[in-house]
Amino acid sequence: MGTSGSAKKGAGRLALALAGLAVAVGLAACGSGIEGPVEATGAKVELEKKATGNLVISNWPLYIDKKTVPNFEKATGVSVAYHEDINSNEEFFNKMQPQLSAGESGGRSIFVLADYMVAKMIKLGYLMELDHSALPEVKANLVKNLRHPPFDPERKFSVPWQSGMTGIIVNKEQAPEVHSICDLFNPKYKGKVDFLNEVRETVPLVMKCEGVDTEKATEADWLKAIEKIKTAATDGQIRRFTGNDYAQDLTNGNAIAVMGWSGDAVQLQADNPNLEWRMPTEGCMLWSEDMIIPVGAPNATAAEAFMNYVYKPEVQANIAAYVNYVTPVEGVQEVLAKTEPEIASNHLIFPSPSFIKNCSPTPALEGKEEKNVIKAFDEVLNG
Amino acid sequence: MVAAIRRRVPAYFLLAPGTLWLIIFFVIPLYFMGKLSLDTEIPGTLHYHFTWEWSNYKEALELYDTQFFRSFEYAGIATVLCLVIGYPLAYVIAFKAGRWRNLMLFAVVAPFFTTYLVRTLAWETILSDESPVTEFLHTIGLAPGGHILATGFAVIAGITYNFLPFMILPLYASLERIDVRVLEASKDLYASASSTFWKVTLPLSLPGVVAGTLLTFIPAVGDYVNAEFLGGVNNRMIGNVIQSLYLTQSDYSAAAALSFVLMAVIMIVVFIYIRFAGSEALMGQEAT
Repeated sequence: MGTSGSAKKGAGRLALALAGLAVAVGLAACGSGIEGPVEATGAKVELEKKATGNLVISNWPLYIDKKTVPNFEKATGVSVAYHEDINSNEEFFNKMQPQLSAGESGGRSIFVLADYMVAKMIKLGYLMELDHSALPEVKANLVKNLRHPPFDPERKFSVPWQSGMTGIIVNKEQAPEVHSICDLFNPKYKGKVDFLNEVRETVPLVMKCEGVDTEKATEADWLKAIEKIKTAATDGQIRRFTGNDYAQDLTNGNAIAVMGWSGDAVQLQADNPNLEWRMPTEGCMLWSEDMIIPVGAPNATAAEAFMNYVYKPEVQANIAAYVNYVTPVEGVQEVLAKTEPEIASNHLIFPSPSFIKNCSPTPALEGKEEKNVIKAFDEVLNG
Repeated sequence: MVAAIRRRVPAYFLLAPGTLWLIIFFVIPLYFMGKLSLDTEIPGTLHYHFTWEWSNYKEALELYDTQFFRSFEYAGIATVLCLVIGYPLAYVIAFKAGRWRNLMLFAVVAPFFTTYLVRTLAWETILSDESPVTEFLHTIGLAPGGHILATGFAVIAGITYNFLPFMILPLYASLERIDVRVLEASKDLYASASSTFWKVTLPLSLPGVVAGTLLTFIPAVGDYVNAEFLGGVNNRMIGNVIQSLYLTQSDYSAAAALSFVLMAVIMIVVFIYIRFAGSEALMGQEAT
């Protein structure tokens, strides 16, 4: 009798606990941030005297050398958890968005995301305003052309991490005649061409092939270029839409000409000397990715200390030599000229103004136009 | 009457933990997804509010009907292939393998020691354009475009490979249960080997066939890994669409609506199938 009573009580307690859990799950779903009111935030970084404690950074894979983080830890005493967990601007944003809209950053203090995503996050109020008094190196060494971008004219929210060029990567032996974006549509290379799955790079490049000025492009121009891409996709001209994974297609011989990023080519060449990044005759796309501090970020002081640290030319020289993208820091070429002259003279890492004269910045897309363009492009991606 | 109710109370009480489990991890999430599928975005904010927006369903289906039908087509073909490949294998393991039986069963399960993703990526290498496999298939005329990767063929092959064990194991379980004396009796009554198979073995193994096809077909329809890695532009399945709606387009309502339609259609298909195959077959011979 006694045992059955206590068993019943136990079961009752279990039921109660489960019911409690049910309510908790329900509440969590309500407060997930997808539904519910908009909470505008306008947080500002409040500096402490000295950077200490822990710092969590989210960045893309293979986007920093092996020495910079340990050296920063030694120099400041901050302990850094450096996560390479960003693989796509959209995916990372959509994973974080429910937390950001509730004013939380998931414990992270720095994200590195593309300009257009940073622009979007500024508008949504998801970023903290930086205190530039802790960023003297940025002020001294940030290259001139990135000081006043249209989406963040005074760099109130963002500090560039790296820049780069989007053009074409070809297998010199198998696709020797590919020199332009238009050449990628040549039926000779049917099924051997990859395009990028980034709407803001792929579509403007195709517009360049069509002779459209990407900075003045209308919605109709975008949709017309997307139509051209769609035809090439259904005809089997384009094999796949990829991110960084075009690298596998190139090394396996599945693709012989792709749209690709300048930094990747330098690394791919080390494995297969036949692969080469080419500046399209129509010009390339220029982009940069920025360090930002999300709302609710713990330890913003350490985050700013890190931003400032990577803007020292001798620190940035290590990063530039490893990642092979275009560095946003002045004075790096001079440092590398002494230590690694080959890199200092590589025109993909330090492009001359004449080399990039036909290139254009990633165009801004806004509001309804953005929605329509992305919808049309995603329809193509999803075949 | 009262006694009857009283008799049922302990049964309900014992079911409570299971019921609560289902409520927390199935009904509540389903409710929120259902609600989300009828939401509208407040423009430019990524915040949604509830407006009974049934047009989400219409729009999602109009845009992505191709991928919808394709998913059912690929999953259907893969299920049939799994059955055709799996049945003889399960039959051999159950009746002919002798002392090799355990080793063969282990071989069926062995791929599970590696993750799904890695196994699919391995096929990406095996089927790549310059691999000997592709070149061989090309010479015998089975790879018309010179490549297999990035075609529907590769996606179906990937699904078939990945879900084969889900077909073989239930088939084996139901074949293995068959009483050999029944087969001997059939022989005693002068039935040929083939008529023994068609009249005795196959009907008795139907529960395995039904369970195997369901276990293969249902997850295969919603699969997106195979289409992602092995498919090309024109081989995307509905799972890929839902993933991209959630993670790249931030169109949560359309994604929820598509998920709901997918679930509903699968339920209808399964219902018709079970009706057609008979619930006895599903439940096993005890039910007859």
